[in-house]
Amino acid sequence: MFLLAVSIDTDPELLLARVLDGLRFGSGYGALALALVMIYKATGVLNFAQGELALLGIYIAWAFSVGWGWPIIVAVILAIFITATLAAGIERTIIRPFDPSNHLPLVIVTLGLFLAINSFVAVTWTTDLKALPSMFPSGNVFAVGVAHLTWSGLGMFITVFAMLGAVTLLLNRTKIGLAFRAVSSNIESAELVGIKVGQTLQFGWALAAAIGTLAGALLVPELQVLDPNVMLSTLVFAFAGAALGGLDSPKGAVIGGILVGLIRNVVVQSVSFIPSELSVGAAVFVILLVLLVKPSGLFGSSKVVRV
Amino acid sequence: MTPRTIVEGSALHRRIQGANWSLSILLVAILPFLVAIPLKPSVFGNSYTIGLGNVNEAIAWAVAVLGLNLLTGFNGQLSLGNSFFVGTGAYLTGALVQTYHWSYLSTLVVVIPVCLAIGLIVGVPALRIQGLYLALVTFGLAAVFPTIVKLDQLDRFTNGSNGLNIESKLLPPDWMPIQGTLDAVRKIPLIGDWTGTESFSSRQSEAIYAYFLVVLIAAASFLLARNLVKSRPGRALIAIRDNEIGAEVSGINLSLYKAGAFGASALLSGIAGTMLAIDKGFVSPDDMGINFAIFLVVGLIVGGSANLKGSLIGGFAVIFVRQWATQTKEVPLLGWELNGPYGQMVLGVLLIGLMFAMPGGIAYGLTRIRARIYRVVPDIHHDGATSG
Amino acid sequence: MSEALLHVSDLEAAYGAVKVLHGIDFTVNVGDISVVLGANGAGKTTTLRAICGQVHTSGSIAFHGAEIIHEATADIVRRGIAHVPQGRGTFPELSVTDNLEAGAFVRKDSEINDDIEKWLEIFPVLGERRGQLAGSLSGGEQQMLAVARAMMSRPRLLLLDEPSLGLAPIIIEDLFGRLAAINADEGMTMLIVEQNANLALAVASHAYVLEAGTIAISGEPEVLSGDEAVRRAYLGY
Repeated sequence: MFLLAVSIDTDPELLLARVLDGLRFGSGYGALALALVMIYKATGVLNFAQGELALLGIYIAWAFSVGWGWPIIVAVILAIFITATLAAGIERTIIRPFDPSNHLPLVIVTLGLFLAINSFVAVTWTTDLKALPSMFPSGNVFAVGVAHLTWSGLGMFITVFAMLGAVTLLLNRTKIGLAFRAVSSNIESAELVGIKVGQTLQFGWALAAAIGTLAGALLVPELQVLDPNVMLSTLVFAFAGAALGGLDSPKGAVIGGILVGLIRNVVVQSVSFIPSELSVGAAVFVILLVLLVKPSGLFGSSKVVRV
Repeated sequence: MTPRTIVEGSALHRRIQGANWSLSILLVAILPFLVAIPLKPSVFGNSYTIGLGNVNEAIAWAVAVLGLNLLTGFNGQLSLGNSFFVGTGAYLTGALVQTYHWSYLSTLVVVIPVCLAIGLIVGVPALRIQGLYLALVTFGLAAVFPTIVKLDQLDRFTNGSNGLNIESKLLPPDWMPIQGTLDAVRKIPLIGDWTGTESFSSRQSEAIYAYFLVVLIAAASFLLARNLVKSRPGRALIAIRDNEIGAEVSGINLSLYKAGAFGASALLSGIAGTMLAIDKGFVSPDDMGINFAIFLVVGLIVGGSANLKGSLIGGFAVIFVRQWATQTKEVPLLGWELNGPYGQMVLGVLLIGLMFAMPGGIAYGLTRIRARIYRVVPDIHHDGATSG
Repeated sequence: MSEALLHVSDLEAAYGAVKVLHGIDFTVNVGDISVVLGANGAGKTTTLRAICGQVHTSGSIAFHGAEIIHEATADIVRRGIAHVPQGRGTFPELSVTDNLEAGAFVRKDSEINDDIEKWLEIFPVLGERRGQLAGSLSGGEQQMLAVARAMMSRPRLLLLDEPSLGLAPIIIEDLFGRLAAINADEGMTMLIVEQNANLALAVASHAYVLEAGTIAISGEPEVLSGDEAVRRAYLGY
């Protein structure tokens, strides 16, 4: 049965390779976690369909780039606009009619979306394996033995932090950002200062879908496989990242995602008695541990209320 | 039309109840013989197959939905991870039958305590995790299950990602008068003609035996759940769902009941897993993932949350709606060709639609329709004397 | 005779099947402080929520001559009605200055920052805590912030829902003094709902008593203070 002798790989090159992999995948998880956090911050709802919305975006990008032969960057930008529009439509038609303060029915609606979008993708593009081209040039920035930093890995890392910067600026420096923060803090008061709550939440959904699609378009080429189930485990890693960083903190989402990537690629693979197939299990363990020990995560706000 | 008022416990009421029960039991007894040779109706150019396997699967699902109902419907803890418990039950049965040559039924001796224990273990940390966070953790649980099954170390029991084929057959005992009953059913006018004229093959006899097994297990499970829900602990579960703080200050031990709800839910789910293994003779890791868990939520909502009959309806709805959608190859009148996992899409849309149109589920809708025909009122003159 | 800013007639409001307001009529004149008194459940809060389009209503609400009864809350705010809801109504996760900026959400002019400074001077206690999150302020400070936040929209009518709720007497007195000052200095018209009748009547120019969803008595505050029944029911002496 199991051999419970703990042995840890300490080969420095291998370790460096794993750290680089962890940073690469982790920034992808962080990007999807950022999308989850945007919805959670605005509405208090965990959007279980976020990964599938991204999946739809990825397949749209695939159709434009591989199917029609357009440049991948153009294809991804188009896919981002299409999924953002779609998400805005979803918010308007099947989210807004529900009471925003009752979260359970809303979560169940996102589960229905999960099933519907997942099978829509499988029906439209079949379940055959596909490959999405990377937006970045191939090749290495540097290589040390087995460890190498690829241009795509570096590009991904930079893109994700640029995205975080853009979201932070949007939230703190623009009027729609102020409306977004006001709505997430107190819906009734937001209405009373003249903010159109529905439209603000719609904007949140569109933005989250756009972020999610970009996250998928960054991550899927690195995973080197595209099928309708590709976002399933990714969503679990992203949830773990969001929980670790604090479910209402954009900065926490990205950092949490990267930490989860490091846990997946460095910790799980270096410690011999954890089978590497259990990396999803490690992510779930992170979620459980965070929620038990510090539910607000590393950067999240425990609701500040003083009476 | 004003509904007719019927006094509870009156002769008429008892006659209606008696008729309901007799009809139900008769239907349960005859049904397998009607569909053992699969019906192949053709509607608008689409041919469908309805066989006993679908019925058995639906009954197993009804028990799985029942398990979720205890936890989510009655106790208010949203679980997206009940597929973990169902999968555990299915794989335990599969491995014990395949590797250790146990009989199917005897595996329940292991499945029940193991699933109960896993449920309690999951239930304890769940005490500290509220609302949507619990959905998140259990969602992770559902995602993890297939990866555990696929572990190399367990390959010997689970056969990894290929899925576990259980070769042992479920032979009906000699005393079971399957052919005799079939002959009798064929003598019923109109209905009897459906069953054709051929004798049953051994596979069909096995399916009929499996049917009666799952019906018995399901009946026991629903009876157990009914007694639980109507008892003092059951009221405590509902009280916790409706107002946790209120329940706690009324002296209800939250930890005990919330963990207990997880245990009971896992127990029933594990039994459902055994039933699925009996029905299909095959268990696959990717069937037991997140989609399975969400289908259970579909069953819960479509049938009716916190409603026992709703679980039965929900189980059948999930299986037959999916079956119907998958077998529909062409949209009637429009001529569009369909191919792929449409069943899942329809269930997703159905879930969203039900949240809008009938949040109480089909069971609630049926109750409202019945209330338009007749209404049962308690007998105020003999209060207490007529109970029991 | 002064000009009517808000004219409510035959206003009915219901939460689902439960009817709370049974056809009430009242008027708020420009520059006045009107006060609505009444016991718990009389429909005071509902009256304010109805004016802001937050409950299902029928009847007529004319603001500055325009019918607003079927307008959305956000549009009503744009017309110049600001509402300080019961229980503060600040944004706890936003800083004091962000709260004030959010209050000016409907404005498009360039004087927003000047206004923020102005209100931080009028309420110096907020000025000292400008970077602090609103949720970390004390109850009295939060109420001041809620009033300042409402004033940031440069409204023509300020609605206040039980501003004294849960505050210490000395703070309540201070708050009402400031409200009277805002009324005098800015010419701000106010409609205040209160249970603390003594203080409210002291600043009011007109008062209404709401009872079980209808207006039982209305008149000058001196008249109401003099009325034996009102005194016993609402003033407690």
